[in-house]
Amino acid sequence: MSVFHDEVEIEDFEYDEDTETYYFPCPCGDRFAITKDLFVSGEIIEAPSSSESRLELAQS
Amino acid sequence: METKSQPEISLLSWGANSYGQLGQGHVEDQSAPRLSDTAALQSRAVRTVSGGGGHSVFVTENGEVFVCGQNNRGQLGLGHNTDISTLQLCPSLNQTVTNVTCGWDFTLLLTDCGQVLACGSNAFGQLGVGPTVRHSADLLFVECLKDPVVSVAAGLRHSLAVTDSGCVYQWGTGLFSLAKRALSPHPIPSHLCSKVPCLVPGLDQKTPHLVAAGSAHCVCLTEDGDLFLWGSNKHGQLTTTEPFLSSPTLLKRSLLDGEKVINLWSGWTHIVAQTESGRVFTWGRGGYGQLGRQASINQNPEQQSAGALAEGGNQEVCLPAEVKVLNGATQIACGSEHNLAIVGGCLLSWGWNEHGMCGDGSQTDVFQPQLISGLRPLLIGCGAGHSMAVCAAATGS
Repeated sequence: MSVFHDEVEIEDFEYDEDTETYYFPCPCGDRFAITKDLFVSGEIIEAPSSSESRLELAQS
Repeated sequence: METKSQPEISLLSWGANSYGQLGQGHVEDQSAPRLSDTAALQSRAVRTVSGGGGHSVFVTENGEVFVCGQNNRGQLGLGHNTDISTLQLCPSLNQTVTNVTCGWDFTLLLTDCGQVLACGSNAFGQLGVGPTVRHSADLLFVECLKDPVVSVAAGLRHSLAVTDSGCVYQWGTGLFSLAKRALSPHPIPSHLCSKVPCLVPGLDQKTPHLVAAGSAHCVCLTEDGDLFLWGSNKHGQLTTTEPFLSSPTLLKRSLLDGEKVINLWSGWTHIVAQTESGRVFTWGRGGYGQLGRQASINQNPEQQSAGALAEGGNQEVCLPAEVKVLNGATQIACGSEHNLAIVGGCLLSWGWNEHGMCGDGSQTDVFQPQLISGLRPLLIGCGAGHSMAVCAAATGS
């Protein structure tokens, strides 16, 4: 198994006001999700569901 | 009594299935092809298949549309926002649909009159209906497109269309932040930040006829067999040294051994093109096997610097190179980071396989196209992380 990894700028996340969560698409179809209070540069976001993919927050 | 008429057709699907996008009545990933529940189809022939992040859309030969999977933004066009895990007819449709392209969480349908219908998320203006709609579970006409559309493509958060008058339009702001970072302090061209179809400049002397969209790049094929690329070059998919190209830039034909391109597909970060002689070339991101070949380091210094700059120097260089086993492919489909092809009547798959989208029963990435045995594929399609194939029923199954 190979784990998907990418580095994404903070401003490229889609913010959902209802859940106070930032989202970015995972190529498996699920979404990387990180809550507002954890949303800082360098944070590693684990993918949801069974995926072991990771996203790294980059500094704009 | 049963009469021997049409051959039996089956729809198989596999890969990621968090939202029921495989149409099998459940939400478990499948690492090998398995029958979808096609009761709703009532043996209608399927013309084209496409998938988005978590949804699937099937267009039948008589122009009807069947859908399943994720529906949180109304991307199934059913007038509601509930996910469904078996195929269901899009009942409100009173148009004859000829083609479909799925973005991440939205859907674009092309009608026989050349009109574009859109549903799903409009958070980035990707439906092309202006900024007031946030998302729509009802199909909306993209009214700004005045001339009949001949080709349409949906990326993650942006859309492209070619009209019969030879114009290429772009809408959806998915490339805006990339453009801003790359072009600052220069202004962003309007086609990269428009929520309604906006003419893409730089193609007016050309004859565009097909478009494809990656996660943040755009590709246009002309009647002359030339490819024009623009958008993100993060993974070297534009074959240039710039990190971002704001307007269409010609792919040097020498990179394809001087041959004209006749067909074109795009994953999120890689591109697949077939040339006039039937040869298939791939380029862009290759770390998960997306390119179906060894992601070799090129010897040409110009090519090396292109890849090094595009990747910040920390990933492989992946300029166009031929995948010989795909020569003569009759169909190809790209998921986000995986691919399907029909070659010589056989179904091949390669690329990222973490959710079983390559259909070989494993979750190990596939670096060269490999046979999915026992199937007689007639039509293939991919969603981001899932795969679909309409097959002639296999003997004994």
